[in-house]
Amino acid sequence: MNKQSFDQQLQQQIDALPKEVRPERDLWQAIERGIDTPVAPKKRPYGIAAAIALFGLVCTLVVVQQRDDAQQSLLAQLSSQHKQQVDSLLVKYAEQPALTDNWQAQLQQLDDAASAIKKALKEDPDNMALLKMLTQVHQQQIDLIEKVHAPQWQQI
Amino acid sequence: MIDAQQRFDPEAALISAAQQGDKQAFHRLYENYLGMVYGVCLRLMVDRALAEDATQEVFIQLWHKLSNFRGDSKFSTWLHSVAANVAISQLRKQRSWLSRVFSSEEVDISDVAAPEVEDHQEDKLAMWIARLPERTRIVFVLHAIDGYRHEEIAQMTNMAVGSSKAQFHRAKQMIKEWMGHE
Repeated sequence: MNKQSFDQQLQQQIDALPKEVRPERDLWQAIERGIDTPVAPKKRPYGIAAAIALFGLVCTLVVVQQRDDAQQSLLAQLSSQHKQQVDSLLVKYAEQPALTDNWQAQLQQLDDAASAIKKALKEDPDNMALLKMLTQVHQQQIDLIEKVHAPQWQQI
Repeated sequence: MIDAQQRFDPEAALISAAQQGDKQAFHRLYENYLGMVYGVCLRLMVDRALAEDATQEVFIQLWHKLSNFRGDSKFSTWLHSVAANVAISQLRKQRSWLSRVFSSEEVDISDVAAPEVEDHQEDKLAMWIARLPERTRIVFVLHAIDGYRHEEIAQMTNMAVGSSKAQFHRAKQMIKEWMGHE
């Protein structure tokens, strides 16, 4: 069988395949039960956990009042913890379509903002306003990921 | 007025109603697309019971994700990709479960040939597709039948674009051989 005739024959058979197939049993009842089951709100646990974790770290920074090295260490800890949270959210929503197409660009913009703040914090480690800004940017990133992947489920 | 009537899209109205929580409208969508969704799942999964479970999961997810649909693409295209992703995800979970149960780290479960299809399946190509190893079958179905590009398949299946092309070539070779033997 030469290649062309095989390809043609294969294509003919593909075209002849039924595009739709109906299942033998009724699936609606189980689907109806599934959609009546309320979806557990997903946003709050992450949001609250993130807020508590960030608040704890900020308080730690305020109370400890350590010099540059310690500050840099806490900054690294803050960044590392935030990265873990973002990564786990991205893994969680990996197969879920996003609400908008440009959310990754928005996430990158926030990332750039965080990098700029961290750079400034290296120069001025005791600047609490900068630290607060950084935690806000981190929180915005988490909110963004959750919003574009878990929109208004509870409203349905 | 005539213009407005001409522009009225019954499917868009159904989708909009379902997005607002109208279960009857959602049931109409289910009726309209059940054949397509089950067809996608069955071709990818081969097993009827697994395909039925996956179809149920697709529609449950659809209900919850319907607000994500903004009309940027055709609804059928969007739903098709949701169905394919759910079926692939279910196969992946099943493979993981099989790996745990049989502890067969040396055996690549995805390369084990699919079970023989039931006798009443008359279409030979459908039978050959069902015989293909899982990964090979997924690529063949998505590319040759459903029209996805290799780049899209690579993203859906977490494989390299080159692997997708290689699996497609492998599928064609196997089918060609079976065709010759029939």
